[in-house]
This record gives sequence, structure tokens and C-alpha cells, in this order.
Amino acid sequence: MSSSTVSVSATTPTQHSFQRKIDDIKPSKTDINFVVMDYLVSEGYPRAAEKFAKEANIRLPLEGESIQSRVEIRRAIHAGDIDSAITKINDLNPQILDTDSALHFALLRLQLIELIRACTSSATADITPALNFASSQLAPRAATNPDFLKDLELTMSLLIFLPETGTLHKELTDLLEPSLRRNVASKVNEAILTSMGARGEARMRSLVRLRQWAETKARAVGKDIPPSLPLGLQDVDERPVNGNGETGDVMVQ
Amino acid sequence: MNARRESWARVAAGSAGSQQSTRLPAFSHLMNNSTSHPNRLSRSVDADGHDRNNMSTSWGRGGTLPSYPSQNGYWHGLGGSAQDMPPFFIPSYLRGAKHAEKLQEAHKAKLAAQREPRSAHTSNPGSLSTSSSSVHLHKMAPSYRGLTHEVIERVPPAFTDESVSPWPTRWNEADRFSQLELEDSGRLAKFSGTQKTHDEAAAVRADFPMPRQCGIYYYEITVVSKGKEGRMIGIGFSGPKVALSRIPGWEPDSYAYHGDDGQIFSNTTSGKSYGPKFGTLDVIGCGINFRTNTAFFTKNGHMLGTAFRELKLNMPYYPTVGMKKPGETVRVNFGQEPFAFDIDKMVQDEKAAIQAEITRTQTPSAASGGEDALIHQLVGQYLAHDGYVETARVFSDEIVDEARALANDEDADIPYRTAVEDMDALNRQKIRTAILEGDIDKALKHTTAYYPSVLRENENIYFKLRCRKFIEMIRRCGELNAQCHPEPTPSSKRSTASTQNNRNSIATDEYDFEMELDEQLGVHNPPPGWDNKDQDDDLEDEDDMEDKEAKSRRATDETIAYGQELKAEFANDPRREVKRALEDTFALIAYTDARESSLAPLLEVAGRVPVAEELNSAILVSLGKSSSAALERLIQQTEALVTELADDGGPGAFINVRRDFLQ
Repeated sequence: MSSSTVSVSATTPTQHSFQRKIDDIKPSKTDINFVVMDYLVSEGYPRAAEKFAKEANIRLPLEGESIQSRVEIRRAIHAGDIDSAITKINDLNPQILDTDSALHFALLRLQLIELIRACTSSATADITPALNFASSQLAPRAATNPDFLKDLELTMSLLIFLPETGTLHKELTDLLEPSLRRNVASKVNEAILTSMGARGEARMRSLVRLRQWAETKARAVGKDIPPSLPLGLQDVDERPVNGNGETGDVMVQ
Repeated sequence: MNARRESWARVAAGSAGSQQSTRLPAFSHLMNNSTSHPNRLSRSVDADGHDRNNMSTSWGRGGTLPSYPSQNGYWHGLGGSAQDMPPFFIPSYLRGAKHAEKLQEAHKAKLAAQREPRSAHTSNPGSLSTSSSSVHLHKMAPSYRGLTHEVIERVPPAFTDESVSPWPTRWNEADRFSQLELEDSGRLAKFSGTQKTHDEAAAVRADFPMPRQCGIYYYEITVVSKGKEGRMIGIGFSGPKVALSRIPGWEPDSYAYHGDDGQIFSNTTSGKSYGPKFGTLDVIGCGINFRTNTAFFTKNGHMLGTAFRELKLNMPYYPTVGMKKPGETVRVNFGQEPFAFDIDKMVQDEKAAIQAEITRTQTPSAASGGEDALIHQLVGQYLAHDGYVETARVFSDEIVDEARALANDEDADIPYRTAVEDMDALNRQKIRTAILEGDIDKALKHTTAYYPSVLRENENIYFKLRCRKFIEMIRRCGELNAQCHPEPTPSSKRSTASTQNNRNSIATDEYDFEMELDEQLGVHNPPPGWDNKDQDDDLEDEDDMEDKEAKSRRATDETIAYGQELKAEFANDPRREVKRALEDTFALIAYTDARESSLAPLLEVAGRVPVAEELNSAILVSLGKSSSAALERLIQQTEALVTELADDGGPGAFINVRRDFLQ
């Protein structure tokens, strides 16, 4: 993050010429609706997708067929039920995990973390299941790939550190964050979509990144653009997005 | 509502002599007063050929309209003026590029502009008696009159965008050394003078510089003949002022690859060894990558590697060839034909690399859920903002479910929840739905009830709604009429049926609400003619022909009554755009079935959308909210930023936001 984040003095009376260029662009509602629908379907919001099809009078795209199973898989991963997630993925298409060993390993490691979490939750718990799982499922895979090995070692050290929480390394707390499950779940979702020949990543996601990339680039080469380009999300949600009091819509880095 | 405005499809009905007989007598008193320019027959519609152009379907429907000639064919057919503008082409590697789209639009705009004076000539009042509807069609020129009905969704930016840099299309007749002759529409350059001394040569530049906005620009030449004595041919590029009496590469701001020794030259007479020699029948390509500021050459489809680096950023570089032996001849391909070298792949690779960079981009504030949270907000706010209330609610639920599953804990802090339950969103949705269903009365009623100030303060929107109501009534008359005289065109029949179905289903859905609202408001007193909805519904249930004719007459009477009312209300309005809109709207009644007329576009259901959007925006503004959703702004910013990054040939040149990210 650079200093440009704190451009609070953006209330300049004269309008920046770049703002006019922005205002001159008229995105088509059809395009926006398409991107929204694409997002709802590919990221797995089936009920919203259905409603949106009705309200906006557009058709559900083809990827809609897999949406239910993708939602179930996501739910299972989010809830830490990796076993049933893996079963469901294999039901859908066994090739997905066979061909993507990194994804398979990530899932198994997530399962190991859940086992460790379970067996260290009480003082009397037994850590044997976690150890067995690690040696039978993860160790053979880790032997083939140094990155896997490093991940496995880090995960196993949770066994030692977990009982006295609060003094954990950031590396270790990250393993316990829900965001890890979310990341794995979205990777699985992308893999399923790609396996169906669909575009893996929702366009919305690409678009948000493109926006960020373009702004960063434009600032880097010194283009004449205003110090901040707000999106105006506040009128729905005034709450600051993070603890720093920075409103979420200032995508300035 | 944003300011994108399309031209009115307009006809001053009074001038259409042949239509007099079909005009309903009852309307004539309206007509005579409302058409102030009896000779003006300006039928205008934009010539944007975009896929989603709603107009294109409506043009076809009438069956009487001549098909729109394809760009190239059209120009060849025009004879004399074809010289002014050669056929438009897009080099293969630029297909789908933003710059190519812009150029194409600019080209279309020029075509339209050139057509204008011609058609003005042919469509003087005297010639109208033949077939007014087909005459109009030639006059597809843009107009910028104030009050407009939007008929298509995309703006044709070409009309405002004169700054789009064209790419080279031919050698420039006016920018050649005199002993160099051009043939084949400027594609063939031939040395016809006597042999030059060592220092002298004859060169020619292309008509336009290589546009930086392309990101990569590439062209090829074929050596048709290297002449009898040698092959002193140089291919490359040069600035606009470089002397043409010298072989390219020898002068400052001039860069070239020479066939006699295979060397490359930049700004000086001493070359560097680079590639093989080339001669008769060899195909030599020359390209600049503006992102990296490098230039390269190819021979017979093979890349020869980077030739020049650190090209000047502000210099326009024109494709240039030079030669010095009699008989030397080269033919150029600026993209009119397929290239020998696979330049498409090179451009694709460049695009892929940039895409990969974008994919790796991290959205900031990752701590708060980063990208996911941002997207949730964007989507949620868009849905609520644009009045997709149900979707917004369900989406919010699903997000909460997801967050809950993830937190694995009922008490967990749910990071996201939109305030979509707000009444405004529901009200705005109702108003929008009403307009989209063609029920303008209902929209007016709701707007007056919930946002009384909006119509007062936005008189033009009020006026447009009133006009739209008239148009809807005309539509209704047309439908009834068609039922009385069943000779339907299949397509219009279908669309009629579907709108009516829609209307019926909505009518039942909204029934309770309507009652409620009427009670709430006490007796809301609509002006006469506003509340014909119930009658409409009756009509659809009737099958009796006689009865239908009666209904049809009644609908016509009501329409006239409403038209008079509209006229009474706005006739003295001094604004020109109001006058024009009135004329255009009233012109509709000149036809027994306006759907068959050249005014059909005015009746298009799609015309409801902009009215609905404009009203929605006005309501939002009145509530102190932004008139466009954050997601919309994000797209606008992205487009603007990418354009900024494309203008100097930077990475933005390889991105077409709409094509690559929105479709």
C-alpha cells in the first residue's frame, strides 16, 4: 500500500478531466446483467441466479447444470467436511483430482487440519487419527513434491503448538483461518468449471482485478488521474470494510 | 438514466403525401396543427451495426424496407465517392481489438455522414409520392436533437470520436518520391526512373502512421521484382518529415531492413548485420511493438528478431519502402490479405501475458475478505440499486449462509448483509416494472405517490412518460386493429402476444397492491384517459369481431382524446425538443397500423427501457443517492483506465474490456 490511500482531500471543486472520461462511458445494462448472472452461476448462488433470471428476464447459462453440486461441495469444504467434498467431486468427475495433484493435496491437508483441530480441542483427545491420516494420505504425496512437503511439515507442527493458542506464528494461524477453506473451495469450484469446458474464473472477478491492475499501471506510468477513484458503495453500506477506517470502495493501493 | 441518447426516429407526417389516404380522418385536426415543418422528412437513426442493435430487427419486420447494403459493397456502388474512402478492413491480428472497433465505428459514421447529402437530394418533397417508407431508409444519419428516444442500448461513439487514429491502408500518392509510381490503388510501388546514384533513392510512405493504440502494428511487403541489376530495397518506417530521396534507414527518424545486404539501418548510413538478404518473391514483414518500443522484421513467415529498441515515443512512424534500381517493385499488405508471418499468434501471446498479469493482481484490503467482500458488495448494491429486489434479497441470504457455513458457528460475526429490504428499492422496482410492461399510468401513479417531487422537478421525464403513454395507446390501437383485420405479420403477432401475457400476469400479481395503493392515496384523480387498463383487460377476453371493432374504435377515440389532452398540456411549451417530440409522437397516428410504418421503431417495446432507466435515476438522485450503481462505475473506471493505458500503445492496447471481460 502506498500513500495514495489517504487521499481524503478528494473533494476538489473542479472536476478532474479523467472524471469526464469516466462519465462518458456508458456501459450496457445487458453486459452488466450478464456479468452478474455469470458470477451468480459460476460462484454458486443458485437461488439468486434463478431469481435474477426471472427479474432481469435473462436465461440461466449452461453451467447452471452443475450449480447445485458445486454448491454442495463448497458447503462441505466450508464446513470442514472434506471427506464428503472429495467424494462429491469424484462423483462429478474423477478426473478433476486425478489430474490436479496440487488441488488434491490442498484438500487432504485441509482434512488433516480438521483432524488436528478435532483432536487437540480437548486435553484428553487422541492425536493418533491425525498422525495416521498424515502418514497414510499426505506423506506419500509430499515425498514427490518439495512444496507439498513444506506444507505438510508446517501443518504437522500445529499438533505441537495448537494447545496453547495465542502464541502461534502467523504462518500457523493462517492455517486455522476460514479463508483457507474458502480459498480451497473456490479453487475446487474453478477446477470443476474448467473441467466442464467453462471459463474457470467468474468474469466479475477478472473485472475487479482488471480495474485494480489498470489503476496500478496507470499510476505507475504517471497518467493524469485523480488521487482516488471511489466506487460509491457507501450509500448501501456505510460501515468501513476493515478496521483501519478505510472504506471498502477505495480501491487504491 | 445516463445521457446516452439516440436520435429520434422521426418523420413529419404531414409531408408524406402518399400516406394521406390512410390517415384516419378523426386525427386530421391534430395533425395539421402539430406538424410545423411539412417538408421536413428527416428520418434518422444511427447506423451502428452492432449486434445488439435492437433497430435491426425492427427494420426487417416491415418487409417493405430494402436491406442495408454491406459496407464494402455499398461503397463500390457509389462510384465517384468511393475514392474518398477505400473499403474498410481489419488486419487479422487486430480483430476484436478495441482500437479496431473504434475505427470501424468511425468508418460507419463517415459512411452515414456521406450518405446524408445524397439522400437529401433524392428525397425532396417531389419524389415522395412513390414510396415514402423506403425513401426514409436512405437517410440513416445521426441527429443530435435535444429530446430523444433511445432505441438502442450501445452508444455509437464514432460521432463524437474524431480522434481515432486510422491505420495505413495504401502508399500515399502525395508522400512519395516522384519517380516512384503507384498502381493497384496504392498497394504497388514501382521504381520507374533512371538509376540513382549511390546516395539517392526513391521512397514512399503510407497514408497513415502505424497507430500506437494497436499495441503491435505489423505489415508486409512482397518483392514483386527486384529489378534487373540489384535489390536495393529497404523496408521499414520513418517519421513524416524524413526526406524521400534517400533509402529508408539512412536518415534520422528512419529505420529499415535492406535487401541487398540483409543489414538494418537506423538513423544512419552505417548498418548492422541482422538477417538474410532478400529479393524477388520474398515476403518481408515489419512490425512495431509499442508496449516495448521495439521493432522487428520477418522474412517469408519467419521471425528475424528484434531489430530496433527505444523508439521515440512521440514520433508518428509511417510504413516506408525505398528502392533505387529501375524495375524494382514491391506490393504491400497492410492487412487486406492474410499475412505470411503468424502475427496473430504473437499478438495473442502478448495478450495472454497481460491477462496472466491481471489474474495475478491482488485486490487490496485482503484482511477484510478482500476481493470476495468487495464483489459481494458490488453485486448486492447493483441488484438493489437497479431494482432487482428479490434477487438482492436471496443473494444476501445466500451470502449469509455461506459465511455461516464457513464460520461453523451460529454466533459468528456475519461479515455481510445488505439493506435490501428498503422500501425505496421495492417502490422503484414497481415503477420500473410498470414502465417495462407498458403500463405508464401505473408508473405515474406510483411515482406521484412515493416520490411526488420527482415528476415536478424533472419535467422532461414527466413529458417523456406522457408521450410514452400515447405511444402505448397507439400500440394498443394497432393491436386491436390487427385483431379486427387478421392479416398479421408473424413476428409482430408474436411480440404482441408475449407483451400481453406479461401484462396479464403482472396485472394479477399487482392487483392487491393496486387496490391498497388506491385506498392509501384516497381518490387519486387521474386525468381522463389515464385509466384504461381495465378496459384493456376486457378486450383481450373478447372474441366477438363486432365487439372488437367497437373496442378498437373506442381505443382510437381514447387515444385521440389523450392526444388532444397531451397537446393542450404541452402545445405552448416553448422548448424545441418538446415540440419535436410531440410532432414525432403525433405523427404515429397518421398510420392505420403504425407497426407497419416507417415509424415502427418508435413503437418498439425496447423504447420503454430508457424511459424506465431515466425515471429510476431521477428517483435515486431525488433520494440523494448516486444515479449509477457502484458496479457500473467500476466498469466505467475500468474502461477509462484501460483506454488511458492504450492511447500510447501501452498494455491497455491489448485489452478490450467489453469483449474480454463482459461477454
